[in-house]
Amino acid sequence: MNCKDCSNKLDSYLDRELSNTEMLELQLHLEGCPDCADSYEFQASVKRLVKVCCEQDKAPDAFREKLRQILT
Amino acid sequence: MAESPARTAFAEEALTHLDTLYRGALRLTRDPDSAQDLVQEAYLRALRYQHSYQQGTNMKAWLFAIMRNLFWDRFKGSRKDDVSLDDVGEFVLYDKLKDEGARPEADVLDKLAASEVVAAVEKLPPLHREVVLLVDVEGFSYKDAAETLGVPIGTVMSRLHRARQQLQKSLYDYAVESGIVRGNGAPEEPKE
Repeated sequence: MNCKDCSNKLDSYLDRELSNTEMLELQLHLEGCPDCADSYEFQASVKRLVKVCCEQDKAPDAFREKLRQILT
Repeated sequence: MAESPARTAFAEEALTHLDTLYRGALRLTRDPDSAQDLVQEAYLRALRYQHSYQQGTNMKAWLFAIMRNLFWDRFKGSRKDDVSLDDVGEFVLYDKLKDEGARPEADVLDKLAASEVVAAVEKLPPLHREVVLLVDVEGFSYKDAAETLGVPIGTVMSRLHRARQQLQKSLYDYAVESGIVRGNGAPEEPKE
């Protein structure tokens, strides 16, 4: 695998959507290529950041209770 | 009138996914009151169509699909209202920052405010925003996201790729505007 192949599959690797064989191929490339490894770590950090920031919102307790009253 | 035990059990199970639905509705409508209206309507519709839910399948995805379909029906009126993403080309924030001498994580990511990250997500067109919500925030597989949105997996992948690029472009623009990095991508000098 070269860097271009790696770049093309990075989204799917990040999302754990490749086959086991492809995951392993990409993992081996990352272990031997510091540039791609750094790029991957950065993409993974952005993904984590988006998750953490957006997950801070929870349904308000009063709304949860109101729904429970309506639905059950 | 007391509800049937089956309906109550279904509602209780559905309510375990409330935070996911509320977060999704909040990001789609960008307004807490509209989000609550949307979620309430989605739950009422889910109960009405309880018979169409197949036990053992992904209830969270099923509920999210109901909610986002209502969003498109009710809040947007028409899918034509959706605007396409600006063509940012192959914008790779990591490459841009690195080429310009910044340390991408320490100089930029660690300094971004959570509110700006959320704002960058909300700036995405809804069709792209919902893919980021499902895959990046809620951890849906491409397959579950595709079924929830009623599109092929390839569409999920292409929307996600473009959404992530646009998101990173927005974060970069914010980092420049707020002085986290200079216009050329280099980090600001620490103030005395």
